[in-house]
Formats: sequence, structure tokens, C-alpha cells
Amino acid sequence: MAICAAVALACNEGLQPTTAAPAIRGTVTYQGHLPDSLRDSTGAVLVVAFATFPQTPADLLHFAAVAFLDTGGPPRRYELRVPTGTYEWVLAVWEKKSNTELGPGNADSLLREVGFYRDAGDTTTHGTGRVHVGGTGTDSINFAIDFTNMHRICDYFPPCPP
Amino acid sequence: MPAVMRAPLLAFLAVVPGVAAAAQGTAILYGSVTDSLGQPLRATVRVVGSPAMAVADGRGRYRLAVPAGRVIVRAGHIGFRSQVDTTTIAAGDSLERDYRLPASPVELQPTIVTAAKRSQLLDESATSVAVMNDTDLARRAVATVDEAVNRAPGVLFLNGQVNIRGSSGFVEGLGSRVLLLVDGVPANQGDRGGIDWDMVPLVDVERVEVVKGAGSSLYGSAAFGGVVNLITHDVPVGWHGRLRATGGAYANPPSEAWTFRDHTGGLGGLDVTGSYGTETLRGSLTLGGRHSDGYREQDRSDQWETAGRAEWLPRPGTRITASGAWTSHQYEVFPTWCVPDACIDSRGQAFQPFMIDTSGRGSYTRSNKGYLAATVDRTVSGAFAWRARGSWLRSHFTDYNPDDWSVSDRLGAELTGVLHAAGGDDRVVTVGMEGAHTAITSDIFGDSGRVGSHTQVDIGPYAEAEQRVGRVRLTAGLRLDDIVVDGARKATVLSPRVGAAIGSGVGTWRASAGRGFRAPTLAERYVTTRAFGFEVIPNPDLDPETAWSFELGNGASIASWGRLDAALFWTEARRLLEPTFVLDGGVQKIQIRNISRARLRGLDASLAVSSLVRGLTSSIAYLLVDARDLTTDSVLSFRPRHVLTLGTDYQWRMLSVGAEFRYTSRIERIELEPVFGRDPRVPARVLDLRASWQRGPLSARLLVANALNYIYNLVPRTLEPVRTASVVLTWTY
Repeated sequence: MAICAAVALACNEGLQPTTAAPAIRGTVTYQGHLPDSLRDSTGAVLVVAFATFPQTPADLLHFAAVAFLDTGGPPRRYELRVPTGTYEWVLAVWEKKSNTELGPGNADSLLREVGFYRDAGDTTTHGTGRVHVGGTGTDSINFAIDFTNMHRICDYFPPCPP
Repeated sequence: MPAVMRAPLLAFLAVVPGVAAAAQGTAILYGSVTDSLGQPLRATVRVVGSPAMAVADGRGRYRLAVPAGRVIVRAGHIGFRSQVDTTTIAAGDSLERDYRLPASPVELQPTIVTAAKRSQLLDESATSVAVMNDTDLARRAVATVDEAVNRAPGVLFLNGQVNIRGSSGFVEGLGSRVLLLVDGVPANQGDRGGIDWDMVPLVDVERVEVVKGAGSSLYGSAAFGGVVNLITHDVPVGWHGRLRATGGAYANPPSEAWTFRDHTGGLGGLDVTGSYGTETLRGSLTLGGRHSDGYREQDRSDQWETAGRAEWLPRPGTRITASGAWTSHQYEVFPTWCVPDACIDSRGQAFQPFMIDTSGRGSYTRSNKGYLAATVDRTVSGAFAWRARGSWLRSHFTDYNPDDWSVSDRLGAELTGVLHAAGGDDRVVTVGMEGAHTAITSDIFGDSGRVGSHTQVDIGPYAEAEQRVGRVRLTAGLRLDDIVVDGARKATVLSPRVGAAIGSGVGTWRASAGRGFRAPTLAERYVTTRAFGFEVIPNPDLDPETAWSFELGNGASIASWGRLDAALFWTEARRLLEPTFVLDGGVQKIQIRNISRARLRGLDASLAVSSLVRGLTSSIAYLLVDARDLTTDSVLSFRPRHVLTLGTDYQWRMLSVGAEFRYTSRIERIELEPVFGRDPRVPARVLDLRASWQRGPLSARLLVANALNYIYNLVPRTLEPVRTASVVLTWTY
């Protein structure tokens, strides 16, 4: 009787075929520790994907999607659900804790780029890590986050205010 | 000499021509032991109140020297009701007595040899021991040793890695917290410390004993969580042979989306054993081979194996045994299943459990392994016996994609003496010294990624004393291990154990407390490779991991229809060796470190019943493990909380049918959670169906493993076996 009951429980269980959703997947590693001075002011760490590389500071606020991450520890796998297409910039962003809504006026003080995906051909500049997302998504979009090497928005759209 | 060897030795003494026997006022008792259907049993026939004992051969025949006069003889076999026979026989006479034993699963009082490194009754052990005899192994119709051990109460395999009460978890093949013995000879790999379960052909295994909890007070390193002892068949007198053929097929994936080949995968094998024995010389040889197409992509394997044993009995009380085995195993490696970007064609699936990650395409391993062992057993008198052994164990693997190789040689020696004060079992002292020298040459475990060599020497003197006081048997033991790596002393570890077994009106109570340890393997110290996209770096300064194990248990017969065995266990582990991410030069790498403190506690219980329906037997085993990582205050990885096994068999004349179901709860936490944590994990619910027919020397057994074709995994991205139907045909002469 017990075996029959157990068998009934086992029917139609187990791993099932699962259709993959369009997404960018990969693993981020942490190369530098978050400075203690920023620990209390950290609002979030995000993975952000831009379909086209931002042309103006205002474009930076039109990202495709986000995923929340840790501020350190062992490598972490992420999945960023996005529409199919090509993405020119996949990066990690540190966001400062704030009571005000994020906008073009305060983006430079609230956001820092802390690492981005590069393809194998270039390890120095942004915008070369093009990611193609098909119907089942794409994997192995791996990159490092370095909290000791943060970049302000104005580094991309100079000049930086004093 | 441990009584483990004393029993066969006494059996030998029993079959030596009545010669010496008559001179000492003894007689010969001979005959056969069968079950109620006339099938032969390898039963134990012993004289009550005397050490005289014989084990029946494959045809159920026995020959036993007994004291002249009135003797009480007990014929027993696990799973059958013992028969007690009183007879009178004159000195120098021979008397034939045949015994038929009715099936009874509650008759579970076998002699065990592993828990105390000497022969004792199961109820005399202060620690929990699970025993599977050749009847159990045959009934399961399995083809490999690990399949046979896997369903023992309290045991769970995770992708080939054995866990006793959650001891090992899963450490990617580096190190085992369980010690494997083959006839008492340590057989863990010299380099990685893991277990090659294909070292010995299953057809040669007569019995498996699983000792649960820390066993380092007698066995030293690796016996951290328990000991598995494979006891091979004695060589009987006369000509004997056995032929075992296996054939079967794997089920295809249950979904079209997972199909990976256009044909059904098969498996097959053949083992042939021949033996010949006289009163003084005996020998046996097994040759075998098997092939499997595998149940997944890139999963084929071919294996060739041989095993032999020679026994020389130059005079009463002396037995010299040489044994060995060699296995050559070539197998494709299924690294991990693929996810969309790593598949050649994912067919729109989030994961493809039957297909491999393209980075692992072409991975292949050639693994050769074997051992030679020689033992001398000498019973000096009824009070003292000793045993000396020497052994050589080799494992040699070569991996292709990635290309790695390692050769390890482990030379071992042990001298053990067992003293029975006043010739009885009231006070028994076991003293011994064990040593091993391991040498490896490897590129992966060598010198920072280059070919290099390392050595490790282990020396461990030990002693254990047992004293009976009324109904109580008290045990205290101690072992001191000294570990030297590359000429430098790395650790000295003291492993004490105390225990008690108390007979009572409600069965036998047992309690024990002992310290176990496991020295880091040479692989853990020196591994240099890449795994999951990360560099794995060596750590030569690792310390042994240690644990205190406590147990309180009871084994009791319930009227005439059942037997219950239950134990509460508690293990406090320190400095567990685990792979962890470290920051090295600003880059995340993997390194083995002493990091974790852990607590494993729970319940290990089993119940065997024979119902009112004649021929129907059932069993239930349950393991509850509460495993906590005390360093991070979280669940310890790779330890399922619940393991439940239900089994039932019905025998009608020459036919029997049975079923076994195992539930393993979903593994709550895994290592490398940030990498694999999003992968699906489900509880395991596996049903095995079996049927057998036996007549005289012929038997046919059908096994449908995972009959429901339940698709599941226990370790990341590694599919467990699908439904596999196999038939085993055996002919025994």
C-alpha cells in the first residue's frame, strides 16, 4: 500500500521540459571589495543592458532591464530577462541609496559603472561586447565587478563637475 | 589476528581431514543447507558454545569438525530462520546432517567482522552496522557494487560518492569521508582518496558490511563517517564455477524535446568464475567484461576486469591468502548537461539534461586500477590469534579534454593481534599497527600544473579492549596517526572511541562516542586545474578535518514478525575541507580550504517484517538528517533531509517478485550556489521492480530500475539514471 501511494506521488513529477525565455545569462565575479565608506550608502547593484550605447546622459536612464546583485562574495550567476535582439552594452551599476527619484539631474551622483561585458576581441573599451539574444536567450555573458574601479557617468560624457 | 580471519580459519580447520580432529577427540559433521525450496544457501554452521564453525559452499555443502559427544549445532543465514540441532557423535566418526531453513527476514543475527576488526555477533557491536549478504545482492539483480551498497539503510550515493548518514556530501570526486575495505584491506585511491567501486567484480562479493559513524579509532583516516567492507567469497573445496550474463536497455527520454539519439541504448556483460580447492590449496579466478551505451549523450563505457584468490592452508591454525583484482575502465565523460548557449541545439529548452555542454565534447577517461594483497592468519591457541597483511593498490587515470593524468601507488602493511582472555569472549583485546606509503606522479596533482611527484606516509598504532560485565559489553579504543607528506610531518591525530552494548528485554541497546578524522588527500593539497571556468589552485598546508560522533541505538525483534533497528546520531565536525572561492591577485579562484564547522544529527531507522501471508516480506528504512553549516548558519550542502526506502518481496515456489521505492527529499543547498543555484532541483522518487526465477544451478533475475522513468538530478547538471531494464542469468556449478 505504501509503495502504491509512493508511486502515485511520483507520477508526473520530476524534471520537465522547460522552454527557455529570452534572457541574458552569465556569471559575475567580484574583483574588489566594496569600500567600507560606501557600505551604508549602497542602494543596489544592478545588471543593466542597453540595446544601443547611450549617446547622451539622458539615454542612460533608458535601460532594458535590471537585476539586483550582491556587493561581494563568490561569483554569482544572473539572468536578465530581455526582449530578443542585440544589446551593445551589458554592465553592472552601483546605485547610491537616495530618497529622491533618479533623473538626469542626479544620475551622475547616484550611479557608478562598476564593470561591463567585453567580447574576447577587446578588453579596454565599452561598447564592444555585443550580445545577441535569440528566442532562448544567451548564456556565458560573464564579467567582473570591481568596486575599487568605479566610473561616474561624466567619465563617459565629460566634463565632470568639480 | 582479528576474528574476521578466525572464522574462515576455523572453517578450514573443520575441513582438514579428520586426522588431527580424531587425535583431539573430535568428529566430522557434514551435509547441506538449503532454503525451503531446496535452493542452496551459503549458510553458517556453528557449534553452540564452541568456536567451531563452517560456511557452506555455493552448493550449500558444509563440513565441520566438532567435539565428540553431544553437540548443539546451529545453522543460520541472514533472512532465514536458524535451525538448532542436538546430536551425539563419537570421536573419529562422520555424520551427515542436512538443514532446511525457512525464510524469515526477522532472523538477523549475522556475524560481522568490520566494526571491531574481529568476528562478533551483530548485537555485540556498539556501533550501527548494516549487512547485505549474497542473497540480498542477488535479489537486487544489480550489476555493480555501488548499486548494491546504495540501498542499504542510511546510505545514499550522490553521483557515485557514498554518503553514510550524510557524511560526505558531494566534493567533486576529491576525497571520501567513507573508507572502503576489500576483505579488510584499505582501498581508497592513493591520490584523490575517492572510491573506485568497480575495483572488485560484484560476482566475487559475498557480503557487504557498512559500519556507520566515525571509525578512525581502528581504521584511521577516511573512516570519518563510516566504513564499507566488501567481503569476497571463500574458495570452496572441489571444482566450482559460475557464469553470469547481463543484458538490458535504457529507456529513451520521456519527451521529444530531449531526444538525443535515434536508437535505444543497451548494456550487457559477462562474468565467468572458476575455482578449485583441496584441503590445503585453493584458488579462484574471475574474468569479466561489460559495455554500456549509457543513458545520456557521450556516456558509453567499456570495462574489463579480473580478480583472483589463492589460499594455502599449510597446517591447522594457519592460513595464507593472496588476492588481487585489476580493472580497466574506459568511459566517455558526461561533464554537465547543457544550457542554451552551450548546446549545439537546445531546441528552445532552458536545459537539456540528456545532452552535454559543448565544452565537454570529447571528454574521455581511461582508468586502470587494481590491488594485490597477501595475508597470513595464525590462530596460536583458542586465546590468541594474529594476522599480518601487505598490500599494493594502484590507480592510474588519464583524462582527455581536459588532458590530465595521475598514477598513484599505495603500499600498505598491518599487523594485528587478538587476545581472548581465558579463551572466551568476556574480555577481548585487539592491538595492531598499520602503515601506508603513498606515492603519486601527476600533472594535475603535481607541481603547479606541471608534472610532479609527492609522497605521504601514514603510521597508526591502535588498540581496543572489550569487557563483558553481566549483560553489558564495554568497549574502549584508541588510535594515534602520524601523517608525513613529502618528508615533513603534517599532523598527528588521536582518535579515541568508547562504546557499550547492553542486552535487555527490549532488544539490545548500543551507545558509542568516537572521534573520526580525514587527512587531506594529495589531490586536495596539490590540485591545479580549471573547473566551471575558474582556476583551481593548490593548498599544501591543509589540516585534517575531524569530527566527534555520538550514537544511541537499539536493535530488537518484535514478536516473531519483525525486527526494528533505530539509532539517533549526532556528529560535530570541524575544519571540514570544502572548495571555496578566494581572491588571488584580484581574480576569483577556487581552492580547497579548512573552512566549515558542521553539525549532522538525525535518526536512522529500519524495520523488517514478515507478514501473515506466507512468502511475503517487507521492509522500511528512514533516514532523517539535520545538517547545518555552523560557519554560515545555513543548511549543509548536498545533504537531503529525508531518505525513505520501502521494499517488499513475495516468493512463491521458484518465483519471486518484488518492488523497492526510494524517496530522497530535494537537496536544499549545493556548493557553488551562485553558479548553479538557478538550476532546477526536485526530490527523487525512484521505483525499482524485480522478479526472479531459480531452479537448481540456474537463475534468472529481471530488474526494472527507475520503472517510472522519473527524471531527476542530485548534483548540479548531472542526470541520474533513467529507466533501465536488465536481465541477469546465472549458472552455478
